[in-house]
Amino acid sequence: MPPAAKLPAASPVEVTVDFDSSIQSLSALDAAAYRLIGTATCQVDRAGDRYVCRLVSSTNPQKGAVLSSNELKERFLNLVADENLRARVAEKTEGVRNVILALAFGALAANQNDAG
Amino acid sequence: MARFLRPESFSAATEDLSLLPFNFERAGANQYLVANMVGDFVRLSEEELNRLVDLQVRPGDGLYEKAYAAHLITGTNQKAQRQLLAARLRSRMSFLQQTTPLHIFVVTLRCEHSCPYCQVSRQSTDRSRFDMSEQTAMRALDIAFASPTARIKIEFQGGEPLLNFPLIRKIVAAAKQRSGKKLDFVIASNLALLDDAVLDFCKENNVLLSTSLDGPADLHNKNRPRPGANSHELAIAGIRRAREILGPDKVGALMTTTEASLDRVDEIIDEYLEMGLDGIFLRPLSPFGFAIKTKQFAKYDAQKWLAFYERGLRRVLEINRQGTPFREFYAALLLTRMLSDRPIGYVDLRSPAGAGLGALVYNYDGSIFASDEGRMLAETGDDAFRLGHVEHDSYNSLILSDKLIGAISSSLTQCAPECSTCVYESHCGADPVYHYATQGDALGIKPLSAFCARQKGIMGLLLDILENSPEDAAIMRRWAAA
Repeated sequence: MPPAAKLPAASPVEVTVDFDSSIQSLSALDAAAYRLIGTATCQVDRAGDRYVCRLVSSTNPQKGAVLSSNELKERFLNLVADENLRARVAEKTEGVRNVILALAFGALAANQNDAG
Repeated sequence: MARFLRPESFSAATEDLSLLPFNFERAGANQYLVANMVGDFVRLSEEELNRLVDLQVRPGDGLYEKAYAAHLITGTNQKAQRQLLAARLRSRMSFLQQTTPLHIFVVTLRCEHSCPYCQVSRQSTDRSRFDMSEQTAMRALDIAFASPTARIKIEFQGGEPLLNFPLIRKIVAAAKQRSGKKLDFVIASNLALLDDAVLDFCKENNVLLSTSLDGPADLHNKNRPRPGANSHELAIAGIRRAREILGPDKVGALMTTTEASLDRVDEIIDEYLEMGLDGIFLRPLSPFGFAIKTKQFAKYDAQKWLAFYERGLRRVLEINRQGTPFREFYAALLLTRMLSDRPIGYVDLRSPAGAGLGALVYNYDGSIFASDEGRMLAETGDDAFRLGHVEHDSYNSLILSDKLIGAISSSLTQCAPECSTCVYESHCGADPVYHYATQGDALGIKPLSAFCARQKGIMGLLLDILENSPEDAAIMRRWAAA
């Protein structure tokens, strides 16, 4: 889902991105922020019906060069998009994942004579 | 006239398809690397990935076939693929059935080398109070033999274990007298003290030797100083003699990468080739013991090490293309995981972690640790991975200790942030001791972890070669099948 990007911050290594909290999950933002550790910090605040994410590039990034504000915003939006997709995959596959794990290690492991 | 129905009539309806679990990672502009539940990889475009998640696939559209072959979709009522994935997963994880196959005996902390990168914090040779006693050794054997696995490996370490060779003799004899387990023995030695008595003993008892060889003489001697500055000379002589007496497959060597090694990987590999060794294990420094005190560990980062590793791997592949079989052992380990379902219980490359479940370490003073790195931490004053003592602990009390269960359960990659959704998770491992040592936490923040950066970097490199260099890919597939 395309988030509503807002106002780059004054500094070239700071940028703020916000999202409609009725369509964007906080957990995906958290996961995206986690993957950004070492590249930038991300502070998530709630402002009315928006999640406001304030990104600040690390001055000494663990991975690669210091990003420009546009690059940082793009990186974060990509991470959020990927996390949203991961959440959809997880939701759609949770049941079958549990079945496979049960077949491999759990209660169903000893009873597999009903091959389909 | 009877006619066949159109092809679509024979295909499953979209609503009859189900998505199977998978992980993915953005891998460049409009490209994703996708791994199914057992780590088979496939590359998809962004459009393909979104169509897949929405199950907008039909037989004949290419993506349907690709996704079916990669176990990313299945028929809703079809059990076979679920059972196949379960069987493969069970096979991959079956190393867990062999609990604690490795038992490391630190028979002495004394050493006549003074390597600045030493992970162990060795003691000088004149302090006999750093030797393991026979009583401690026999109690440790009791615990080792109580582990449930049918085959155990007893590895002698130090310090320099040959400085307490009489105790090694006693432990081997006592272990062989006990029945019920198949036994393997390894002495991890710098070989400086190797003599005919040691070699005769090794031959008689089928004991393997594992030594250190860091490269050409100047580099090796710089990394591994000892009185006389002849560590390289003695290691080379020891390897040659051991290969002659014990056989070429009974002695192996390991290298450690220091800052001085970074520009010399070709020479290091050539040294191994000249010795007739069948491969090399390109290893980074570990963040323990003297490697921290002397700041060796901080002298290069993961990116520098990865550049060193890639140069080395490509050199090894070139040697193979020229007709000499020669492996890079870490790549071989990872490739075995990536290209087969064989259970690989290598202690640093598994989740649940290998600490305690893969190995126990009996220190010279009777303290027991969950891993070799755990006792290295203790030598610098941190007992985070000290599980107990031979005098008052049993195998069960060690394995079921809150400390061990806490370290293993808190570091599981299967449910850790980032790891649990990482495209490489099936082939990676939890390394709680490394992350505790570098970040003060057994789980660690993976975006800041050099272990994570190295793992992703190496697996990305291996995939690139497998996909884009057919001749090298054939060589690497042979390593995985060996």
